[in-house]
Amino acid sequence: VSAVHSPGEAFARLQDSVAAVPRRLGRGYWLLVATAAAFAVFGGWCYSLIVRRGLYMTGLQRPGMWGNLITDFVFWVGIAHSGTLISAVLFLFRAKFRTAVYRVAEMMTVFGVMTAGLFPIFHLGRPWFAYWLFPYPNDRGLWVNFRSPLVWDVFAVSTYFTVSTIFLFVGIGPDAAALRDRASGWRRRAFGLMSLGWRGTDLQWRHYTRAYLFFAAFATPLVVSVHSVVSWDFAVSVTPGWHSTLFPPYFVAGAILSGVAMVITLLIPLRRVLQLKDIITPHHLDMLAKLVLFVSLIVTYSYGVEILLSLRAPPSDAERSTLLYRATGHYAPLFWTMVACNCAGPMLLAFRRVRASIPALLTICLLVNVGMWLERFNIVVTSLGHDRLPFTWRIYTPSWVEWGMTFGSFGWFFFWFLISLKLLPIVSIAEMKEELAHLHPAPPAEAAHG
Amino acid sequence: MARVLGAFSDPAAAARAIRALRAAGCEELRAAMPAPFPEVMAALGQPRSRLGLVTWPGALAGFAAGVALPVTTSLAWPLVVGGKPIVAIPAFVVIIFELTVLIGSITNLAASIALGWMRGGLAPLPGGRTFHGDRIGVVATVPDAELAERVLRAEGAEEVQRV
Repeated sequence: VSAVHSPGEAFARLQDSVAAVPRRLGRGYWLLVATAAAFAVFGGWCYSLIVRRGLYMTGLQRPGMWGNLITDFVFWVGIAHSGTLISAVLFLFRAKFRTAVYRVAEMMTVFGVMTAGLFPIFHLGRPWFAYWLFPYPNDRGLWVNFRSPLVWDVFAVSTYFTVSTIFLFVGIGPDAAALRDRASGWRRRAFGLMSLGWRGTDLQWRHYTRAYLFFAAFATPLVVSVHSVVSWDFAVSVTPGWHSTLFPPYFVAGAILSGVAMVITLLIPLRRVLQLKDIITPHHLDMLAKLVLFVSLIVTYSYGVEILLSLRAPPSDAERSTLLYRATGHYAPLFWTMVACNCAGPMLLAFRRVRASIPALLTICLLVNVGMWLERFNIVVTSLGHDRLPFTWRIYTPSWVEWGMTFGSFGWFFFWFLISLKLLPIVSIAEMKEELAHLHPAPPAEAAHG
Repeated sequence: MARVLGAFSDPAAAARAIRALRAAGCEELRAAMPAPFPEVMAALGQPRSRLGLVTWPGALAGFAAGVALPVTTSLAWPLVVGGKPIVAIPAFVVIIFELTVLIGSITNLAASIALGWMRGGLAPLPGGRTFHGDRIGVVATVPDAELAERVLRAEGAEEVQRV
């Protein structure tokens, strides 16, 4: 896109490059789709065991009644977080580097919430009554308990899913219209449907730009609220290690860290395989890496505050006991791996050479993803397994069924993400054109005609 | 009145042409483009969209629903849980916030689609040509077509035609 002579030429090249994405997905792509589908099906089969035989198929035993499934829920909500951060918050802050990468982040958000939303249902003893979570008129006049954080979760996650999906498809509208003009067959019909009658006239753009601003304004507080609400699932209880006002900011920072790391993890192979290196440049990766570094510092600070506040308590204090158990007990290797992945690893991104090295960046981000899953496991499992009643302490070990569902969730997420590469424009063509127009100004009219 | 279409590859040139046409007395101007180029939108001088007049009441309706749902349902089955009051406002703030955002966003979506379809929004520019790709189309409805053609060409239009 850089070696062009006019904005029009740059627009055409950009559009061709994005339109060519589905054609660049070869046999390797279908192999990945099949692998992801196989994992998802295996996860589904594992879940069917729980439906048929009950939660006895999990490793859950009192007092540890939350395990891998809730860990997966919190992890996937966190992954879903950064999409809205990148698309809405950075839009309001006019951070231009977001333009090339926000569509991938938004897609990741929608599929992340789609994955996360399944786990509370999986975890129900009788999942066929999942609709009881929603308030609906019934003969007995019973309503949900709106004072319960679990009901807050239902509202927070379903709102986040709806708003993220709307935001994604509103952004896609003008791009779908652009791609529709050159597409054929079912893809043309699909783009026609997604474009919702888009003509690109000044009348439509006038309302569109205003609507987009409102969507960003609505979505921005959701970035803070969703994981805050998820954190209250824990913090509102009196369980040691959970009952803390630190939890909402701590969870939000962790969610952004894991989400941005996942965006980088997805972008690095995508830009290589789909030949998008001119569009998603090292500058974009560098800016995202700085974001990982910044949020990692917040997470590290939160870990530090949690540890220091617990250590100030008297030796008999349950909070202190649970914290020491995390760091020195049965799950200590997981705790220290978490600290290494989420705190020490990202610090390397302070060095420009590390940020510029694609293998190093990818490795650090993959480790952050591992570390963030472990963080959620540490929070969920160690507090329940080591609560205020020592005679109930128990070590939780996930069963193979739970591991199957955890890996199945990755299969489910990647299946939808990979399929969407065939269907959706993975770069915002319209916003990129707006940016390119100012990167490639045409020569003055007099000179052009002169 | 005649209609003249000019196609530009540079948004800045399109904006200059629109300003020149307006200076020449042309009041009826329309444009279609692949992105909301700020210079073109500013040159057209259109008023700000009134979408907010629909969206904010939608958000307020969401707020009202967010208050009404937990309060009325809690009063309908007044069961004390955890020693909290029946109408526990701090606990309901989450529901109020989520419904405000949810209904506000859905209203915003519906209103933006409706406004984009109204007043000929679904119709392409005169001449039926679309401008989603690499060109910006400017259509002027003028009494003197030759003058408009001259202005469009002088400002860098790559194609000029009567539609």
